[in-house]
Amino acid sequence: MNLGTTLRAGMIFLLLVFLHYTLRPLLGWRAPMDFLLLALLLSAIRVRPAIGALIGLALGLVSDSLTPDALGAGAIAMTVVGYLASWLKAVFFADNIALNALFFFLGKWLFDVIYFVVENRIGGIELVQQLLLWSPLSAAATALAGILLILVMRPLLEPARA
Amino acid sequence: MARAVRAGNSRIDLIVLGAAALLALVARGLPPNLRDPVASSMRTTFLAPLVMLQERAEASRRSLLLDDTRTAIRDSVSLRAMTVASLEDENDRLRQLIGLGSRLRWGFIPAEAIHGRGVRDVTTMTLTSGSNSGARRLSPVISPEGVVGMVITVDPTMSEAMIWTHPDFRVSAMSGDGSAFGIVQAHLASATTGYLMELRGIPFRSSLKPGTLIVSSGLGGVWPRGIPVGTVLEEVKTSEGWARTYLLRPAVSPADVGAVMILRTDRVTKGFENVWTSVAAAEAAAQRIIVAGDSAARDAALAEAAARRAALDTTRRGVAPGTVVPGGLPPELLPDTLLVPEGEVLPQDTGVAAAARREAARRAAARRDSLRRDSAEQRAPRPSPTRGN
Repeated sequence: MNLGTTLRAGMIFLLLVFLHYTLRPLLGWRAPMDFLLLALLLSAIRVRPAIGALIGLALGLVSDSLTPDALGAGAIAMTVVGYLASWLKAVFFADNIALNALFFFLGKWLFDVIYFVVENRIGGIELVQQLLLWSPLSAAATALAGILLILVMRPLLEPARA
Repeated sequence: MARAVRAGNSRIDLIVLGAAALLALVARGLPPNLRDPVASSMRTTFLAPLVMLQERAEASRRSLLLDDTRTAIRDSVSLRAMTVASLEDENDRLRQLIGLGSRLRWGFIPAEAIHGRGVRDVTTMTLTSGSNSGARRLSPVISPEGVVGMVITVDPTMSEAMIWTHPDFRVSAMSGDGSAFGIVQAHLASATTGYLMELRGIPFRSSLKPGTLIVSSGLGGVWPRGIPVGTVLEEVKTSEGWARTYLLRPAVSPADVGAVMILRTDRVTKGFENVWTSVAAAEAAAQRIIVAGDSAARDAALAEAAARRAALDTTRRGVAPGTVVPGGLPPELLPDTLLVPEGEVLPQDTGVAAAARREAARRAAARRDSLRRDSAEQRAPRPSPTRGN
């Protein structure tokens, strides 16, 4: 990955972090789109799994800082998702919109599953409802936002060859 | 070789993954008293801009959600604010009408005045009470301020009144003290003078000062005695040499007429002299107090200026301050003629007399100050003369 690609990826990364802290609270949806996870996924497919895991750890700690009771849960979830996204990039990040959408959807859903299980704040039927209803909805919204981002910024988002 | 490198890389990746997961688990396993400082340190340092952005975004969202509600509230408040002035005016007028009603006690029919086409050219108005309520032709129509007009046509539920601006309107009137009698009619001489009245037929020997209250005399048979008609503005020079004509400021401006009272015939015969007396007397007393306060303040100011001049002269002549002089006043306040030449001894005033003079001076100063305050307060709320637009 050359310098230009790195800079473009960095810009996209910062833009997504910015959107996470502006557009997401502005919309205030019950099943919100997760721009931090999109930033993680789009970064992870450009780096090695170890780096993806470290980026996930950093982003997770950042997101957890606003919910001190869940500190570490988001970090664990994002570490795993970052590692897996980097490891599976050759499979998923083909030039196929549907596959990319599935990639984002599964990434967000996996993140939610790990997060809510590790957080251990809700349980029983509420956890089931969260994981089978709200998390898929949120994952779908995230996937939609990711696809829109790819379509709009396709030239900037050329993934590195595996 | 390549497979070995890939295997090595995979091993490194797994080690890093394990380390990252371990760190995350450690963070998750931190006791609550350590979690908060860690999270707080991140929020207040490198995450501070993002936290600020999120706060702003959430505030914006709340504003957006409340925008419709706020707009509706603002519109309601604006609408109410637009009606407040008219409601206040109406409230004042109704209070006055209630006050008049309590003074009249009986024999009146309350009615709303419905204005016609415009304000400037109005000479008649429709009233919302008719013969069913007791209104009759030529019944006087009054407001809390005084004469409005008289009923000319009556329907069962409505009636039409000729107001005093009508060219045919006449009312027999007199000065408040009964020294001069005449006929009041609308002043039609000039369009630029607005709604004014004329008091005609005042005997040449009777002279009325500006501000004199003119009331109905009760001589015409329609109007009872004592209802305010207007106040004298100035004398009008006419060709009639045998009588004086005065320009009056009307007691009632046609544009301000809203709620009125139609007087019943039986009430008219009883007279109204005590209904408006207290109001007119209070206005006259207030006027006298203002004039007296002004003149007293002027006298006091002149005396004070004279005392200052005397004090300055005394200082120039070298009299030591605090020297005991006749009259008990300090030498700074004495006129030059009272200064004692050096070496000459005058009989000393007694201490009691001196104390009495000082007390009198103090009271005079206090009275002067209170008169100034009173006249200032009396001047402030006085309404400007209504000239019917």
